[in-house]
Order: sequence, then C-alpha cells, then structure tokens
Amino acid sequence: MSNRICILLIEPSFLIREGLKTLLSSQGQPYRIEEFDAPVDDLDKLVNRINPDLVLLNPKLVIRLINLPRRNENIFEPYYIGLIESDAPTHIKGKFDQILNLDAEKSELNKIMEKSLRLIHNGNSETENTSLSEREISILKLVALGNTNNEIADKLFISAHTVMTHRKNITRKLGIKTVSGLTVYAILNQLIKLEEVQGV
Amino acid sequence: MRINKDLKMAEVIHMNHHLLPVLNRFDIYLGFGERTVEVVCKDHKINLNFFLEIVNTFHDPTYFPLRHLQSFKASMLIEYLRKTHSYYLDVKIPEIGQYISEIVQCSGFEENHRNLVKNFFDQYRRELTNHINKEEQGVYPYVLRLEKVLDSPRSSQETFDDLHKYSINEYEEDHDDVESKLFDLKNILIKYLPPVSNYKLLNLILHEIFELESDLNNHGHIEDLILVPIVENMEKEFHSRFANHGSNV
Ligand SMILES: [Fe+2]
Ligand SMILES: [Fe+2]
Repeated sequence: MSNRICILLIEPSFLIREGLKTLLSSQGQPYRIEEFDAPVDDLDKLVNRINPDLVLLNPKLVIRLINLPRRNENIFEPYYIGLIESDAPTHIKGKFDQILNLDAEKSELNKIMEKSLRLIHNGNSETENTSLSEREISILKLVALGNTNNEIADKLFISAHTVMTHRKNITRKLGIKTVSGLTVYAILNQLIKLEEVQGV
Repeated sequence: MRINKDLKMAEVIHMNHHLLPVLNRFDIYLGFGERTVEVVCKDHKINLNFFLEIVNTFHDPTYFPLRHLQSFKASMLIEYLRKTHSYYLDVKIPEIGQYISEIVQCSGFEENHRNLVKNFFDQYRRELTNHINKEEQGVYPYVLRLEKVLDSPRSSQETFDDLHKYSINEYEEDHDDVESKLFDLKNILIKYLPPVSNYKLLNLILHEIFELESDLNNHGHIEDLILVPIVENMEKEFHSRFANHGSNV
C-alpha cells in the first residue's frame, strides 16, 4: 500500500517509546501511531478499534495474555513485534511474529524493523512482483462478476483459504480493496465487459 | 508541534491550512488579526480545551487525547461530529460529485467509462449517507439521552429501560470504516483511468478526495477513540448510580 501504515505501540517506558519512534522514522516509511503506556485490559478490543498494521507490544502491559488477537475475516492481519528482554520465557516469545530484544544493538534493531516493515508492505510475502498472475486475474474476474469466496473456491477447485490469499495479493498489488472497486478495475482493463455485471 | 492556547490563530493556519474546515465547524472564519487561540475561542464562546483537543487530533494523527478528555461534555463532541457530517454531505460530496459529472463529459473520457466512474461515486455517496444517518438516528441520540439522565436523573422509567438496553459497544463493534471506496477511487484515478483532456479538473478531484479521506479518517478516529471511551465512562457511572432503575432485561 502506498498509504501510511498504522502502528499500535504498547510500552510503559517513555524512553523506549521515543526510541522506537526514532527507529521507525529512520526507516522512511510514513506511519501513524497510537501509543499506550498503561496496562491494557482488553487487547482484542483495542486491536479491533485501532486496526493496526503493526503492533509493538510489551507483554507486561497485557493482563492475561493468552492469545494475540488475529482476525481471519480481515484482509490485513496485524503483525506483532514483542518488546521483550532476552531472558523472557519461550511460550511468550512464541506468540509473536517477531521479537525485538530491548538490549540489542542499533544495527540489529534496524535490521529487525526494516524486515518487519517490508513484510507488512508486501502482505507477508517476500516477493516484490506487482503485476497480477494468471490465477489472480481469473480470481479477480470472478470477484468482479459478484462471486463470493466460496463460490470461487468451488469453481476453481481450490480452498476458500487459498482464494483469500489470492485476494489479499490482488488488493495489495492494485491498491483496490472493495468489490466494486475491483469491478471498475476489471472493466477499465477489459477483463470483463460492462454488460456482464449488474448494478455497476 | 502541538497547538496551544498562546499561539496566534493566524500561525495555526500557517502551520496547517488543512485545519480551515475544522475551524469553520466551530463557526470560526478567517480574519483573525493578531488574536491568539485563547482569545478567538473566548470571542466565540468555545470551550478552549475541547477546541485544542480537536485541532491537535486533526493536526497530528499520533496525538492521543484520551487522558484529557474528561473535562468536556459528550454533547459538545456530538455537535462537532454532526457539523462534520453535514460538511461531508452538504458541501464536499456534492462538490466532488459535480466535478465528477463534469470530468466524465470531457473529451478523452471513453463513453463506456462514463457511467462506470459516476456510478462508483454514487455508490460511495449512498454508503456514506447511510453510515451517517445510522449514527445520527442511533448512537448520537442515545449519548445525548444518557448525558441528560446523568445531569438530571428525573426521567421516565421508559428512558431508563431504553438506556439499560443499549451499550456503546454495539456501536463500536459494527462501526465500519467509510474510506475504503474512496481509497479505491484514488487508485483508479491515479493508476487506471486512461488520461483525459481536462487534466486540471482531474487533479482537482484527486486533491479533493485526498482531503476528504484524511478528514474522514480523523472523524472516524474521533468517534472510535474519543467518543466511545467517553461514553463507556458515562455508562459505568449510569450503571453504578441507577442499577435498580432497570427493568431487568
Ligand atoms: Fe460519523
Ligand atoms: Fe462513523
């Protein structure tokens, strides 16, 4: 996305928060950030409310951390970075997509931040290909013609989960999120004909 | 830099001219002279803290006002949000709609694409209108009623029952974002629409969409991150004070 990414930062220490913002700014990726320095009693709710691309979280501030909120129905999952000391227990570390060790050196911190931002940017895939694949085009056509994910899965003999992954990639590549937006794209690019669609 | 009461209002606009429509919602218009933020607010009988929170949230999206919010009333916020709604529906959307009907008529715009773009925008207009109507008929009146009961608890049993039945969490849960289509429209115009002869008008449309999008972002931000927490606190107070006024639903 060419858009600013949205970051949720939950960390008690002012100095660490400021340090993280400096680190983030040096990456040159525009962002907006919501900061919390006090214990959070409902992380699910907060994540749903803010809808972040990236969560920088010190697990000490979460009361009863069982699972990190994941939203399968949402196209964009937040990416979780744990703000943890190196001796934190593994079962805590394992919940995060990435760990940022607070006593790490600058170059290490930079590397991790850069990698995480790149992953968010590319919807968690390492490839930087921006044109649509054949498969994505056929899925895009079906979406534009008004098929649901399940209908598409049935027609193409793939799982609904796979359809979802393709759709995320299509949205990422084109910068178009809504079905009607994809329909307009498909018509402009003559993938489908205006007469084929109803209600456009 | 944070906007504070001692800045001159003119400096505020130099800092961020996108704040102009926000000031207009407070019935503040250009021609500030050398007056400071504090003086202008006083002249217009505006709560200074409330004004500062709103302009700072707009000016700096990383600014999180939650902690200073208890000092003003939910009804102030609702009034501001309503004015913002009417700015969208009565000013911005018709304006952009007008530009779009003009642009699709200009040469270079393919016949087939005319209705496509126009209808896409009309769909968006309907979506936004529905979203706003739902808020103005549902959650806003609820909040105002809640505030009234907390201020002067002499109300009918029916009012208490109604207030017990609803919770701001319902609003929060199905409060969807209204920017997605606008986001798409931006990319359609930037990336996918073939070039047209009236490029100046197209630039203008794009510019307007960017402005509207960031204004809407800020508006949704205020609803989710300021209105909801304020009302949550009011509900807590309501339930602890009036636990036995309910009808056990
Ligand atoms: Fe609203
Ligand atoms: Fe809203």
